[in-house]
Amino acid sequence: MNVIRQTILTLLFGLAATTAMAQYYSGDRTFDGENKNEVSLSLTTGKNIITGPCIGNTVHYKHYFNNHWSVDGGANLQYTKGLYGFKAKGEYHLKIKSFHMFASGEYMFNHYHDYNTNENVGNMSVRFERGYWDITLGGSLIGYNMMGDHYTEPLTLTFGAHASLRPRTHHWNVGVLFRNYDDFYYENWNINWGLDFYYRFNPRWKLFGEFNIRPAGSMSQLASKYETTGKVGLIYRWK
Amino acid sequence: MEITMKKSVLYSLMAAALLAASVTFTSCEKVSPQGVLMGNTSVDDRVKQSLVNNSFYEVAWDKELPDTVTEYSFLVGSDSHITFDPGRLEEMLDISINDGDLFCCHLGDLADTKAEYYYNTERALYLATEKWQDKYLEPYFDEGGEAVIDTLFFVDPRTGCLYRKDDMSIVPIFLPFYPVVGNHDITHNGWALYSRLFKSSFYEFTVKVGNKYDRFIFLDSANGTLGDFQIEQIDDGVFWRDKKDIRNTFVFTHTNIFRPSLNEFASTYCREEMYYILDKLADWKTTIAFWGHVHAWDERDFGGVHHITMPSMNFVDHPNGGDDLIVRITVTGDHEYKMDRLGLHCKERSKQELEELEYKTSTKINN
Repeated sequence: MNVIRQTILTLLFGLAATTAMAQYYSGDRTFDGENKNEVSLSLTTGKNIITGPCIGNTVHYKHYFNNHWSVDGGANLQYTKGLYGFKAKGEYHLKIKSFHMFASGEYMFNHYHDYNTNENVGNMSVRFERGYWDITLGGSLIGYNMMGDHYTEPLTLTFGAHASLRPRTHHWNVGVLFRNYDDFYYENWNINWGLDFYYRFNPRWKLFGEFNIRPAGSMSQLASKYETTGKVGLIYRWK
Repeated sequence: MEITMKKSVLYSLMAAALLAASVTFTSCEKVSPQGVLMGNTSVDDRVKQSLVNNSFYEVAWDKELPDTVTEYSFLVGSDSHITFDPGRLEEMLDISINDGDLFCCHLGDLADTKAEYYYNTERALYLATEKWQDKYLEPYFDEGGEAVIDTLFFVDPRTGCLYRKDDMSIVPIFLPFYPVVGNHDITHNGWALYSRLFKSSFYEFTVKVGNKYDRFIFLDSANGTLGDFQIEQIDDGVFWRDKKDIRNTFVFTHTNIFRPSLNEFASTYCREEMYYILDKLADWKTTIAFWGHVHAWDERDFGGVHHITMPSMNFVDHPNGGDDLIVRITVTGDHEYKMDRLGLHCKERSKQELEELEYKTSTKINN
């Protein structure tokens, strides 16, 4: 009952907020009012206890229809892990008083070559964002096929938080994050911890990077090393 | 000025929340505050220690059934979270001894981590060991047919295993009770308490039936991962009995793979590791894989393996007991078995009752 009530209140809140005047937000993941296309390419390296040293590339393309709507497609090639994936995401952006809300829906497919496993993920999340921080809450449905059998996990909570040293609109920044997901996976209660940075050369070019510790376990299930990765990439925007 | 005030109030609230969270984490027995970021006991170290102890302490004895016996049974329980009263563990061991099961397995989180809880766990195992010895052990006879009384050697006539009746008040390890380590067994440096009793978190044994073997593998997943050293051992074939004529393989570990429902929040493995384990279980032609941790029942076939996730057997989750808290597997053939769910019904005993049985009832030093 509480869930239904909270959902209705959130929808009403969102509906009321759509009347807010459109206002361009030159934050990290939003339309800057001019460049509607964005592509990013990144290199990830690190070590994973299952696959050993890992290296891979991800590529994303994002298109902003306007200040509210955007779509995003991405591909992930992790060579030593034998992991290949792609995803598609739609996002709606609203400014609500002093913060920004992003509601998104995503489909992701991963193929784990070593285990001949296909994984399908659906995720719906809401991200609340202000100048120095953002939090994400949502749910994921994860299913996988291997050895001729299929299993869909019960709905998994998605959560994350990020805080940065400078305002989001600044031309450089460093931040800290924890979350139970990354660009190409959603986990259960295994929480990632990370440091990230970016440097915006100009409105079109930006360098970004991330150092990510992905432990197994957390809380009473004492965290133990699982994966450590570093990621560095470039983003280019154009009209 | 107003904005500054609001921010100062916000920051004060955040600081208060952090302080409250810190106090909660540091005072809670269930959560290790440093474990959020990095556990203070490493699965790699535990497995290395286990490999040494397995041979030194003869952790698990291989068993051989007489030619006339074609089937046997064992019990499996999980998450007893013993504090002062080990009653549910006692009840499970009593059932096992009375009904003639060959051995008992436990899927971890045996006791919450305090020295007194482990003292009581050890005492419960000691009392069960005495019952088990009284029922099963016969004096060992030398080649001349004389009973070897002086050396205190005894044999289990059902399995041919030779036991040394040691000072049972110190190391009651000869009861055929095979646990795996759980996350609550290692919080607050609990591995020191656990390993003193059980020596190993990574071991195996076989039961020979006719000219074939049933293999029992116990894995350490207390941190939510097998860790790279254990995985390396598995990949290097530490379970060398792959070369034998294996009939059934049964695998036991703490952290579950399958979540019974969406409100079961206990963490599972990271994704690549989960697929690795499922693939490895299929590779071993596992008959049944047993999982604990999540305190809820789940049963399914996946990848040719039957997976059983066990409910907890502790007083907190089931104060009045239940009819289906443990399982008995009766092995009848090649991938053939019968499963029965059994109840545990004892209620938590009073302090006076526990003291009469020489259990500790307080964490005070003089108790």
